[in-house]
Amino acid sequence: MSNRMAAFGGPEKKKLEWRRFRYPDSLYSYAGWLIAFTVVVFSIEYLNIPLDRILGMLGRMGDTLASRYYPPDIEYIMDRDYFGYVVETIQMAYLGALFGLIITIPIAWFASFNMTPSRRFVYPVARLFGMSCRAVHETIWAILFVSILGFGMLPGVLALTLFSAGFAAKLFAEEIERIDMGPVEAMRSTGANLFQIMLFGVWPQVRVAFTGIAIYTWDVAFRAATVVGFFGAGGMGWYLKRNVLQIETERVAAIILSIIVLVIISEALSAWARSAVMKMK
Amino acid sequence: MAVLKVTDLHARYSAKGPEILKGISFEVEENDFFAIIGPSGAGKSTLIRCINRLVEPTSGSIVFDGREITTLSRVELRRQRRDIGMIFQEFNLVNRMSVMDNVLSGRLGYTSNLRTLFRAFPREDIDHALALLDRVGLIDHVDKRADQLSGGQRQRVGIARALMQDPKLMLLDEPTSALDPKISREVMELIKEMAQELKVPCLCNIHDVKLATECCNKIIGLQDGVTMFSGLTGDMNEEKLGEIYAMEVL
Amino acid sequence: MTSFSANPALSRVADRVQDSRRRSRYISGALTVALTIMVAWSVDVTVIQDTDWERIGSVANVWEATSHFIGLDLELFPDLLVPAIETLLIACLGTAFGLILCIPAAWFGAMNITPYAPITYPLARLMMTLSRSIHEIVWALFFVAVVGLGAMAGVLAIAVRSVGFIAKMTAEAIEDIDYGPVEAIKAVGGSNFQVIVYAILPQVLPQIVSVVIFEWEINIRRSAILGLVGAGGLGLVFFRQMNTFNYHGVTSVIVAILIIILLGEAISYFVRRRMI
Repeated sequence: MSNRMAAFGGPEKKKLEWRRFRYPDSLYSYAGWLIAFTVVVFSIEYLNIPLDRILGMLGRMGDTLASRYYPPDIEYIMDRDYFGYVVETIQMAYLGALFGLIITIPIAWFASFNMTPSRRFVYPVARLFGMSCRAVHETIWAILFVSILGFGMLPGVLALTLFSAGFAAKLFAEEIERIDMGPVEAMRSTGANLFQIMLFGVWPQVRVAFTGIAIYTWDVAFRAATVVGFFGAGGMGWYLKRNVLQIETERVAAIILSIIVLVIISEALSAWARSAVMKMK
Repeated sequence: MAVLKVTDLHARYSAKGPEILKGISFEVEENDFFAIIGPSGAGKSTLIRCINRLVEPTSGSIVFDGREITTLSRVELRRQRRDIGMIFQEFNLVNRMSVMDNVLSGRLGYTSNLRTLFRAFPREDIDHALALLDRVGLIDHVDKRADQLSGGQRQRVGIARALMQDPKLMLLDEPTSALDPKISREVMELIKEMAQELKVPCLCNIHDVKLATECCNKIIGLQDGVTMFSGLTGDMNEEKLGEIYAMEVL
Repeated sequence: MTSFSANPALSRVADRVQDSRRRSRYISGALTVALTIMVAWSVDVTVIQDTDWERIGSVANVWEATSHFIGLDLELFPDLLVPAIETLLIACLGTAFGLILCIPAAWFGAMNITPYAPITYPLARLMMTLSRSIHEIVWALFFVAVVGLGAMAGVLAIAVRSVGFIAKMTAEAIEDIDYGPVEAIKAVGGSNFQVIVYAILPQVLPQIVSVVIFEWEINIRRSAILGLVGAGGLGLVFFRQMNTFNYHGVTSVIVAILIIILLGEAISYFVRRRMI
C-alpha cells in the first residue's frame, strides 16, 4: 500500500491526523452510553432481577405452557354464552371508539396550535385533557368507573371512550396542524367565522385522515376492550378473570387464543378498511 | 494480458423477462479506459453490474485477473469484489455517516465483523483514507456528514471509497449523469488522472458521448443488449454513432 | 362551447361519473344506515339493558360517588416514592429487554433482509402479532404465573409487549431503505453482516430511536398498572387504596402516575431533541 500512497504525496508530506475520538463531543456520547448502562444495571439491582436465572426461567416458561396451558380447552369457548360476551366486547369497543371520536373532534380542534380559538387558554386546557386521558391507563379508567357506576358495560364503554378520545385527539390534532393554511386564510379574508372555517376550510382537508384515525382507534379500542372486563366492566375480560381466579389454566389458554384470533381479524379488517380509505383519497 | 475478458455474456432479470444482454464480448487491458455507450435501456448498467455480479448473468464467461467470476461461491465472490472498485451514478453513500466513515467503508472487505461493529479501522486504513481525501480535495470536509456535501463533492467521496479498495479494476456506472456539465467534466478528469496515477484500468458506462470520446481510449456501443460497435475511440464516427442511437426514442 | 350531449365521448364520461357518484352515494347511505342501527342496538344492549340503574340512582348519587375521589391523601405520598421509582425502572428495563428481543424480530420480519423468507418471515410476524394482540394485563398474569409475584414478571410482560410495535416499525423502516448504499457495500466485498451494520442500520437508526422513545413513554403507562395483577410498581398501591376505600389515596396514586408520566415526557423530549 505504501507505494500507492507515495504516488500522490501521502501523509509523510503533509502531516494529516484523524481520530474518531474528539474531545468534548465523543465524551458526551460516551457519557450518554454510560448513563444508559448505569440505569439498566441499577434497575436490575433495584428490582432484584435474577439475571442468572432468566435462561432457566425460559425453560420453565416452556414447561408451564406445555403442562398447564396446553391443550387449550377449545370446547369451553365454543359456547353460546361465551359468544354473547364476545359480541358484548365488540359492542363496547365500537361504542367507546364512537363516543371517543365524537368528543375527539372538538378537543383536537382546540388542541391544534394553528386552529385553536385561543392559544393562551383553550389550547393548554384541551392539550391537558387529551394528555390526562392518555396518561391514565384504560384499566384505571375502568376501575374508577366501576367504582362509581357499578359493574356492567356502561363503565367499560365510558373507560374506552376516554381512552379512545385521548388516543385519537393527539393524532387528529397533529393532522390538523399539518394542513395547508392557504384555504383557511382565504376564508378568513372573506369574513367567515371560526366554525365556518373549520367546516369548509379544515374539515375537507383532514376528512380522509380522520377516517383513517377512526379505523385505527376502533382497532386499538377493541384490544383494550378485551381486558376492561377484568376489572368488572363487562365483556370477555370478566370471563378471563373468573377462569384466572379459578386457576382453570386450559380455559384461560383458550380464551387468550380466542382474543388473539379476534384481534388478528380486527387488525386485518382495519388494515383493509384503511387501505380502502387511502385509495378513495 | 487482459485484466478482464468478457465472452458471450447473457443476462435477464427474471426467467420469463426479456433478455437484457444478448451475448456481449470484450476485453479490458491494463491502462485501458473503456467506455460503454448506448441509449437508455440498452443494458449498459446491467453489463457493469454483471462484472461484479450485483446482477447475476444467465450465461457466458467473465474472466477477471485470471479467474472465472461467474462460477465463484459467495465467499470467493466477496474476495474477488474487493479487487473491483465501483463508482455509482447516485453516489450510493451512506448519507447519515461522515465522509471519513464512507471512505473507510471501502475497506470493509478486509475488516472483521467485530471491527465493523465498532468502526475500529486499522491506523494504516485511516492514513490511506486521509491521503485519498486530500488528493480528491475534500480534506476540509472529513468530518462532515455525507448529505451535507454537494453532488460533485459526494462523487469525490465515492471515488475515494472505490480507491480505498486498492482495486485492480474500476467499474464506473454513469459516474457523472447526476451532476451538472461543468462538475461532470471535473469529476471525469479526476477519475482519469487517478486511474492513470494508480494504473487502474477502468470500465465506464457513460451517457455523454462527447465526454466518452475525450476520456476513453476504447469504446463499446450497445443497443438493446447487442454490440453495435467495438473498437478504439479513434475509429468512432458520426455514422456509427447514428446507428447506435438509432433506436433512441426522443 | 360544446355541451355534453353534443359530444358522445364526453357524455359517456359524464354518465360514468354520474354512475360512480350515484353508486358511492348508495354505498355511503347503506353504511350510514347500518352504522346507525348498530349504534342503536349497542346502546340498547350495553347502556340501557345491562346497567343497574337503581344502583346508580340519580345524577346526585353519581356526583356523590364521584366526589369521593376529589381530594388528595397527602400522607400517602412518601410511601409512593419507592413504588414510583419501581414503576419507572420496570418501564426502562422492560423496554431494554424488549429491544433485545426486537433484534431477531425486526431482522427476520423485514422482507428484504430476512435470512430465509419461507420460515423466518412468518416466524417474526407471529412474534409481532402475539406481542401486540395480547394485552399487557394478560401478559403480566402469565408471567406472574411463571416467575411469581414481583417486578420480574412486570419487566418480562413489558418486554414482550413492546416487541411487536418496535419490531414492526423497524422492519417497515428497513423495508423502505435506499438500496444504493447496500449495493455499494456489497460491491466493496462486504459480508451480509457488514451490509446490515454499515448500510442499513445507519439509515434506520433515527426511526428506531424515536420509536423506542415513544414505546418507552407508553411503557411507563403500562408499568403503572401491572401491579394490579401483582407485577410490582404503583399499581399495587392503587389496588390497595381501592380495596380499603381510601378514595383520596386513589387520587394520590393517579397524581403520582401523572407526575412520572410527565417526567418521562420531559426526558423523552430532551433525548429526542439531542439525538434526532
